[in-house]
Amino acid sequence: MLSLRKRPGFAAALVALTWLGAGIARADVTLLNVSYDPTRELYEAYDALFAKHWQETKGEAVTIHQSHGGSGKQARAVIDGLEADVVTLALSGDVQQLADKANLIPRGWQDRLPNRSCPYTSTIVFLVRKGNPKGIKDWADLTRPGVAVITPNPKTSGGARWNYLAAWGYALRENGGSEEKAREFVRSVYANAPVLDTGARGATTTFVERGLGDVLITWENEAFLAETLGKGELEIVVPSISILAEPPVALVDAVARKHGTTELATAYLEYLYAPEAQELIAENHYRPSDPNVAAKYASKFPRIELLQIDRDFGGWREAQAKHFVDGGIFDQISVSK
Amino acid sequence: MDGSRWITTAGLAAALVLALAPAARGADETDAELRERVQVLEQELGLLKRRLEVKDEEAAAKAATTVQVGAGVDGFFLRTPDQKFQLKLRGYTQFDSRWFTEDENAGVDSFYFRRVRPIVEGTLFENIDFKIMPDFAGSTVVLYDAYANLHYWNLAQLQLGKYKPPVGLERLQSATSLMFIERAFPTQLVPNRDLGVMLQGNTESQLFSYQVGAFNGVRDGGNAENSDVDTDDGKDVAARVFFHPFVDSRIAPLEGLGLGFATTWGQEKQAPPSYKTTGGQTFFAYRGASGTTPAVREEGARLRLAPQAYWYWGPAGLLGEYVRSNEHMKRGSSNVTADQVAWQASATYLLTGEAASYKGVVPLEPFQPSKGGWGAWELAARFHSIRLDDDVFPFFANPDTAASSAEAFAFGVNWYMSRWTKFVVNYEHTWFDGGAPGGKNRDTEGVVLTRFQLSY
Repeated sequence: MLSLRKRPGFAAALVALTWLGAGIARADVTLLNVSYDPTRELYEAYDALFAKHWQETKGEAVTIHQSHGGSGKQARAVIDGLEADVVTLALSGDVQQLADKANLIPRGWQDRLPNRSCPYTSTIVFLVRKGNPKGIKDWADLTRPGVAVITPNPKTSGGARWNYLAAWGYALRENGGSEEKAREFVRSVYANAPVLDTGARGATTTFVERGLGDVLITWENEAFLAETLGKGELEIVVPSISILAEPPVALVDAVARKHGTTELATAYLEYLYAPEAQELIAENHYRPSDPNVAAKYASKFPRIELLQIDRDFGGWREAQAKHFVDGGIFDQISVSK
Repeated sequence: MDGSRWITTAGLAAALVLALAPAARGADETDAELRERVQVLEQELGLLKRRLEVKDEEAAAKAATTVQVGAGVDGFFLRTPDQKFQLKLRGYTQFDSRWFTEDENAGVDSFYFRRVRPIVEGTLFENIDFKIMPDFAGSTVVLYDAYANLHYWNLAQLQLGKYKPPVGLERLQSATSLMFIERAFPTQLVPNRDLGVMLQGNTESQLFSYQVGAFNGVRDGGNAENSDVDTDDGKDVAARVFFHPFVDSRIAPLEGLGLGFATTWGQEKQAPPSYKTTGGQTFFAYRGASGTTPAVREEGARLRLAPQAYWYWGPAGLLGEYVRSNEHMKRGSSNVTADQVAWQASATYLLTGEAASYKGVVPLEPFQPSKGGWGAWELAARFHSIRLDDDVFPFFANPDTAASSAEAFAFGVNWYMSRWTKFVVNYEHTWFDGGAPGGKNRDTEGVVLTRFQLSY
């Protein structure tokens, strides 16, 4: 008679067999860093630096895989199941989504690393054709008829949201804080944008490689890189006011725990603050957070009056809700265009 | 040249220069304007191209996350682009009729719904399949299938819930793919549906498949429909292996040969089975309570053995199975071990060139007279028999009402209008040993059955 009631040993044996079967030997360690669009060159260099550091200090080989794309799109991909051990996105609002919508990281994530988890910063500048034929000097020039503005879509690109807020902040300052005038100003800028790429790198491709548009609104680091690649055919124009762009980095706790990479992934992020990594960051045109390294490279980065997301826009949560959610101000000005 | 003529000539020359100068200036401006216009056009063209590329990128990104909704040959579906999550809605209904050809021993002629079965099935997280299938025929609701199949590996899948235990070959065949309207006698000796857990697997080409599971245990032909909770502690073990030994041989006539063996074993404690004709009339039942003598109960060990085979080649198909059910019956303080045996041999032939199959037939040309399509036409014939153990008579079964054996032959025509619709006509003639008072044979049964089947 087969009665399962008095055969607990059978069940225990089954469980034991399952555990034995699950004991798979650990292969080479890997990490996945999901990042925003223009950081490809930075992390190609940094990953090699970190891998060398890890090998020397821990004697373990590590392979780091990168994924790049528009910051908002990348955040959604991680929420939907892309197993990132770490994220290095364009703005804290996108990283916060991982906590709010998917419980992948704790709510206090931003306080776990120095400088509010921002090992580097950047800002927004213009890139124009050699000789600046359209005479672009400041934000107001982007609204002139006949000026084609290249900028990515704020719905998908973190860099694009920095661009938008910088323009908005300029308009508020120029018009005594009038939101109505700021709205009209930003509408005029985007009316001059013939195409909205999904990410900052796509916009750079459009402007630099395809030769389209008169001015590219972009990350400062991207502008430096493009200027170099443009072989003298491009120039950087620094506007009178811009925004302090603070791309944060974060451990994705739930995924790192699952992969057993918490220690490695944490070290990967912490090493971004090491002096040699900060030098690498500056060489790749990002503003380092280390004051000593920043001082060393001060002449490279122009001094600009910088708006700040928390001080001037109430933080990303408020900015996102006001400008970038479905039906927000950006959608409204796009419809009325 | 005198002065006046010189002045006239100079004046004419000056006038000529003045006349020609605007034309010369206009040609230069036109080139410059043209160059500028070309540059502007190039910019606009480049921007148009880029806009299209961005739109394509956005469409691709959206398609990668948008749930697909549609209808196809297998019903209605919702699924994620990566197909790791799917929900399918399909089902089938069979509208039958039966007409008895002999007045003696005739049942009631009737139209009826034989099966009305909506099916909800799907996939979760890529490796978990599920199926829920109730039946509404006879204006009652019976849950036939409700199970999940965890298939992380083809060779080791875990199925849990309520479904067909792996025993009868014709029972395991889908009701929409049967050769005849009603399954043959061997199916009445094997379980219909039961609740349990089963490990199963198969090789990619179906060269070999196996199932082994533990179930509550139901009587012959039984469906755990009255209660999904077992009535005793004993459980049945069911196991089956099936081979297609020549599936990879490239010997075309033998590729469709399938051979298998199934068995069940368990301890039972339940009401006994009864057996019916194709026309739905009960020709064998165990005795009920009489006076102080209780009704017969199935109590004790039961062993079923079921060798089985089919062979399909081109338009022809053969199916055969044999079932022996060795079971213990009890009535009061008396016990008997009964060996019930049934077998069948069925054959089909498609007249319209399609390939016969265990999984059903799809017509090459669906029924569309205007386009010369007449569907698929199939002839079918079978012989089947069931023999009840003589030891159950007379104490456990009344020989005046319960036949000791039944044999039947049947002919049929199947018309597949399309892959979703089918008409069937069968004639079956059954004769009996015993089952009538005075030791006589129960009257033969002749019945014409029809079916219209809609499946999707």
